[in-house]
Amino acid sequence: MNPLILTIILMTVFLGTMIVMASSHWLMIWIGFEMNLLAIIPILMKKYNPRAMEASTKYFLTQATASMLLMMAIIINLMHSGQWTITKVFNPTASIIMTLALAMKLGLTPFHFWVPEVTQGISLTSGLILLTWQKLAPMSILYQISPSINLNILLTMAVLSILVGGWGGLNQTQLRKIMAYSSIAHMGWMTAILVYNPTLTMLNMLIYIMMTLTMFMLFIHSSSTTTLSLSHTWNKAPLITTLILITLLSMGGLPPLSGFMPKWMIIQELTKNSSIILPTLMAIMALLNLYFYTRLTYSTSLTMFPSTNNMKMKWQFETKQITLLPPLIIASSLLLPLTPMLSILD
Amino acid sequence: MMTYIVFILSVIFVIGFVGFSSKPSPIYGGLVLIVSGGVGCGIIMNFGGSFLGLMVFLIYLGGMLVVFGYTTAMATEQYPEVWVSNATVMGVFLLGLLMEVMLVLYVLKSEEVGVVFKFSSVGDWAIYDIGNSGVFSEEIVGVAALYSYGAWVVVVTGWSLLVGVLVILEVTRGD
Repeated sequence: MNPLILTIILMTVFLGTMIVMASSHWLMIWIGFEMNLLAIIPILMKKYNPRAMEASTKYFLTQATASMLLMMAIIINLMHSGQWTITKVFNPTASIIMTLALAMKLGLTPFHFWVPEVTQGISLTSGLILLTWQKLAPMSILYQISPSINLNILLTMAVLSILVGGWGGLNQTQLRKIMAYSSIAHMGWMTAILVYNPTLTMLNMLIYIMMTLTMFMLFIHSSSTTTLSLSHTWNKAPLITTLILITLLSMGGLPPLSGFMPKWMIIQELTKNSSIILPTLMAIMALLNLYFYTRLTYSTSLTMFPSTNNMKMKWQFETKQITLLPPLIIASSLLLPLTPMLSILD
Repeated sequence: MMTYIVFILSVIFVIGFVGFSSKPSPIYGGLVLIVSGGVGCGIIMNFGGSFLGLMVFLIYLGGMLVVFGYTTAMATEQYPEVWVSNATVMGVFLLGLLMEVMLVLYVLKSEEVGVVFKFSSVGDWAIYDIGNSGVFSEEIVGVAALYSYGAWVVVVTGWSLLVGVLVILEVTRGD
């Protein structure tokens, strides 16, 4: 893409999310969402194959539908409260419709079907932007309307998302689909705690973004999009395999890595609010996630995965530049002792 | 009939939307959009929005729909689909009409419809009134406010339009 156009488009993606996060008028928030959606379409379509076009079309359709639902909720809110500012959404109908619209944007169950297909059809870098940056704007709106969200709907969607994210990822060998299902599950964890303690949602979002960034950077470095291709990284860059091991286990939520922090805090907050069965269920279902992460580490770092002999020398284009990998690795594995610092997110 | 004019116009509006949602060829969709646009203008004007009705005709029908018509005419096929040519299109259209007729009968029979939010009577559809100063029309004030108090909105929408054009050019470039 022409560098000037690419700069303008990336700037508009950034601007759209910033407008969503910084506005106090519902119409501007909607405009921010639309601007974000419009500008990310050519990023998703960087390669001009039919797969990418199909993925971009699916993304556009689902996100546009979610924006329309959001607009309807905004107008119902306007009708019943007479003002456009972002506060608690007082009308329950508007609140429910808004929650559903934002769940569609995030990829929560039952609106999760677009996430694996879109993530699979686009390049790794576009998938990175899709799964990290695009989650910021809807989550910020959910944070702002969190006092008025219907708890039953949100918790149902959260638990189902953790289930779907775990079970759906079990049969995958394509790395992008694995990351998509992991994103669905993490969104489930984030929205489960939203009504009880929104600060932890922000904490989980922060840790999740760092871990997903790290994983995608490692995938981009080894130019691998399948498990088989990833299992050859021991040949080219053995250190990457160790880093993949650490980051994947962190994503699975194992102590003493930093991925344990959000899960621990969320379970603690849920039990403080006298719900015992729910966090137990969530923790057990996170094991499904952990299973396919460890399977990935098994094939990548722990064993020499079976392959034909001429594949032992990994063939790839020249190594792509990865940004900020060392700080990301540190952030996604060693942050657990900094848990008391989460009070700065308040 | 004049007391129910908004209701009648909205029914024609919805029928128009059903007409193009049943997906005949885009040319016929555009034709229906013209009708719906004109009827929508009538609805707005019944609430005192003469300026906005003029905008609908000028900008929407006279600008956007004309461009849409030209591009569709360039891209159309030899035998475009009408509502009666394909059983599926006909079926969906009739189904939509049936739903609309049932809704109209329901509204006419019971004086109040509470589906998602309450429609209080047949005479005034979902009214949202901001203030009755009686000196000038409130809707033009909105346009004036857009360029004075809401300058940031103009900047944002202008930027969105620019990026929209760039995105479309980028997407249709291919290769």
